[in-house]
Amino acid sequence: MNLRRVAAVASKEWREVTRDRMFLLLAFVMPAIWMFVFGYGLVLDVEHISFVVVDRDHSALSRDYLYRFYQSRYFDFQEALEGEGDADVWLQSGRARAVIIVPEKFQERLLSGQPAEVQTLIDGTFPLRADITKSYVIAINNAFNHELLVDFLARTRGLSRSEAQRRTSPLGIEVRYLYNEEVRSTWSTVPALIMFSLMVGSPLLTALGVVREKETGSIYNIYSATVTRLEFLVGKLIPYVMISAVNVAVLWLMAVLLFAVPFKGSLWLFIASSVLFVLTSTGIGLVVSLLVSTQQAALIITVVVSTVPTILFSGLIVPVSSLSRASQFQAHLFPGMYYTNITRGTFLQNVGLAVLWTDILALAIYAVVLGTIGYHLFTKRPRT
Amino acid sequence: MDQPEILTPPPAQVVRVRGFVKQYKQHIAVSGVDLEIHKGEIYGLIGPDGAGKSSLMKAIAGVLTYEGGTVEVFETMIDTERSAERVKQRLGFLPQGLGLNLYPDLSVDENIDFFARLRLVPERELAERKARLLAMTRLDKFRARAMKNLSGGMKQKLGLICTLIHEPELAILDEPTTGVDPVSRRDFWAILAELLQERGMTVLVSTAYMDEAERFHRLSFLSSGKVLASGTPEEVHALVPGSMVTFEATPQLEAISRLKTGCTQVEALGPVLRVFTDDTNPVSAAQAITSYLGDIEPRQLHVDKLDLEDVFVALLLRETDQPPPSPELPTASVSSANHSLAIEAKELIRDFGTFRAVDRVSFQVKPGEIFGLLGANGAGKTTVIKMLNGILPPTGGEGWVAGEDMKTAGGAIKERIGYMSQAFSLYLDLTVEENIRLFAGIYGLDRRATNERFAWIVSMAGLQGYESSLTVRLPMGVRQRLALGCALVHQPRVLFLDEPTSGVDPIGRRHFWDILSRLAREEGVAILITTHYMSEAEHGDHLALMYAGRIVAEGSPAAMKAQVEREAGQLLEIVTDQPGLALRQLERAGFAGIALFGAKLHLLSRDPAHDEVRIRESLASDGLRVLGAAIRPLSLEDVFVHRVMALERRDRETTKGAAA
Repeated sequence: MNLRRVAAVASKEWREVTRDRMFLLLAFVMPAIWMFVFGYGLVLDVEHISFVVVDRDHSALSRDYLYRFYQSRYFDFQEALEGEGDADVWLQSGRARAVIIVPEKFQERLLSGQPAEVQTLIDGTFPLRADITKSYVIAINNAFNHELLVDFLARTRGLSRSEAQRRTSPLGIEVRYLYNEEVRSTWSTVPALIMFSLMVGSPLLTALGVVREKETGSIYNIYSATVTRLEFLVGKLIPYVMISAVNVAVLWLMAVLLFAVPFKGSLWLFIASSVLFVLTSTGIGLVVSLLVSTQQAALIITVVVSTVPTILFSGLIVPVSSLSRASQFQAHLFPGMYYTNITRGTFLQNVGLAVLWTDILALAIYAVVLGTIGYHLFTKRPRT
Repeated sequence: MDQPEILTPPPAQVVRVRGFVKQYKQHIAVSGVDLEIHKGEIYGLIGPDGAGKSSLMKAIAGVLTYEGGTVEVFETMIDTERSAERVKQRLGFLPQGLGLNLYPDLSVDENIDFFARLRLVPERELAERKARLLAMTRLDKFRARAMKNLSGGMKQKLGLICTLIHEPELAILDEPTTGVDPVSRRDFWAILAELLQERGMTVLVSTAYMDEAERFHRLSFLSSGKVLASGTPEEVHALVPGSMVTFEATPQLEAISRLKTGCTQVEALGPVLRVFTDDTNPVSAAQAITSYLGDIEPRQLHVDKLDLEDVFVALLLRETDQPPPSPELPTASVSSANHSLAIEAKELIRDFGTFRAVDRVSFQVKPGEIFGLLGANGAGKTTVIKMLNGILPPTGGEGWVAGEDMKTAGGAIKERIGYMSQAFSLYLDLTVEENIRLFAGIYGLDRRATNERFAWIVSMAGLQGYESSLTVRLPMGVRQRLALGCALVHQPRVLFLDEPTSGVDPIGRRHFWDILSRLAREEGVAILITTHYMSEAEHGDHLALMYAGRIVAEGSPAAMKAQVEREAGQLLEIVTDQPGLALRQLERAGFAGIALFGAKLHLLSRDPAHDEVRIRESLASDGLRVLGAAIRPLSLEDVFVHRVMALERRDRETTKGAAA
């Protein structure tokens, strides 16, 4: 390998990328924008559920009941309606996701020891959100029931409220969330978004960079020169690996400073595995570029083989363990999942090589396999 | 040739190709080509697009596999990637496409540096060679300019420098002159000739333009993947004995139909007819033509040697056994009762910012006239066409097309004009019929009119049998005629053709021009055509040469030539045994503007008899032999180059004067 030739290819490529506005945008601006947009946009917490109420009772107890919803950070009160008819309009237009209907004689029945039924209508368009909404409603309802029970016991048995409280809930439960103590979804998505931004940008950039030469015919400069296949490929990839490395740093800083995600693990482990992942993602671009001959085809195929699986199977949105068996299998085929494990592991869990070595090994295998395929697919004396 | 060459050893072979076959899937691109290239020569591959030139050149450069035969370069068999690598340091390859192999965002300097470093040229030599080559190509002022901002001619020269920066022994140049204006082309050949002498390089070069054939020491003429002829230009000439009779005759159409009863090649160049006869004797050749013409009296008749292009056409006709194309123009139902001018440009001006692209351009085109707008890239031709088409508003001046003022006509004018661009603007995935019907639909023709025009176009353009073929599969010549048909679907009175004939084989090209002259003569369509291929400009009735946004010369082709002959003299051709040395010797002796054509030298002379004697003396004193000297008719290319060079010289002097 002659380093002068590698340097010639690499510096030419670097200049082209940095002088072409489209490439420059794709290289340095897009990953940061993705991180910014999805970091704020892809919040999976179900909060601020807009709701309306129909209070047919207008009693002290019904107001007390509904007050618990007004107070909750999970619910956003919109309006008190007169009748159920209006509720449909609110739900259909999407201005409310839930309707709570308190029946007549709510207070009367409860105080007289009879059961009452509060009707709750929930927009079920998105099952996940509907489920979570339902569980919030049930939780608030249970708390209210419990309160009533405590009141009843205090009144009838002459116990103090705290005593009644203790008797009615003998078994307490204490939950502590580990790693993501506040169960903030940004803490979980932002490290995965580092993977996403790299996985979308870097294969695309690499594929376009190589195919562009094929499309214009400047690849013949390489074919007809004495530069070897390895020298060309190494020289060609160096700028893209460098760009991605810069992006890793920028994205890491954004995660820590902008999104305030704690980084608890080993920085060296993170850097080393990021380099491996960058090699893998540029490798995907390289292999795509050698199989197609136009920039359009490169763009489409790269999106299909890297972007879509990354969004669906990498654990970015849905944890791999909650996917179906078939999807889990597919998830294991794409490198995104392994790197997501590493970013989440190093950011949130402070786990080390002992746990992550399988993921790192997988990435290393990808890098080597893709590189080898690329090397063998590239020929300086093609058939057409 | 049976010349006894006892003293000279057989020439060293640089390339030897035997029975070369290249196949792309089912399509056989090249079948059984033999080729030998000797050290130190310029070897030309001539042929239309799709003849197989690029495949052959790529295989020789070791960047393409092949299916049959052998390719040896520098006595190394090129059959694997590994063996190809062994000779690549000694090769330079310039792929097809003007400037496409260069890097647009890199500067001139950076482009050259990249190629040199890829070839491991030591930095000191790189600096020295780069300075020399940049000076030679006059690109030294543009070192820091990004390649994408260079003109076509400059890109071509930069491509050449990049290919030659490592001083290869064999340079393989694939259509380096396609798409470049005549001055840049002549410049290119001069630079190449100079490098050839200095460095003892061998060059394999391809071109789709027949008129460049004279510049090669030896050549092969390729058609449909086969070699039709090869050898020195003289040897190829000898394959087809005959002569070309040129004259004017009226009525022209009647004369053409009479001549076609007996002659295979009849071509109309404006008012002039060129007819091929296989008679080499000028007197009897002229007599034969006169007898065909009957009572039509030929004027200004003269008999010339054949051009190589005529030879190729004759060879192609012989090979394909196809009858010469004689399009019968079906009569269309519209008569042209319009006697006013078809196109009139009056003092047209167009500024882009502070740059004046078109400067007070005026001309007139009558119905039935073919008007050629000539000029280098960037001379303002396309801007003029765009203004007349109503695409671009003029900064000043007026333009009328088909009786409408361009400023006010708007959309209505589009129905009266047809436009055909270099790219042909056809939908390649549609069939011939679908394309025609699509264009008919775009112009809002009803079903009856569409059927009528479809039939007319098919018969006019000779598309019978191609109706349901996909456009992408058509030969270039057929594709070009289809594009013409589509531009004519709405029966325009004025037709604009923007560089319409690149890459078409000579027979197809003549067929195309046959149709154009019939359209003009019989239907009275006014045709405005831009081209920088001068052999095509000969077909125009009237020409205007543009330079830096202005029209600098105007007239019929014959008048333009006559004017240059009056100003600068006649074209003197000198044949010597060592043209390179002779060129330098004569330049030292004070002759200016000599151009090298293979083994021949061309120069303009006001006093040819006297100059010939001076040249013979001057060369004899250096021990160089003059093998022949003759006065040759000027070509339009000579006119173009003479005019533009004179203007460039004047511009340089005025800027120098202004600076001083």
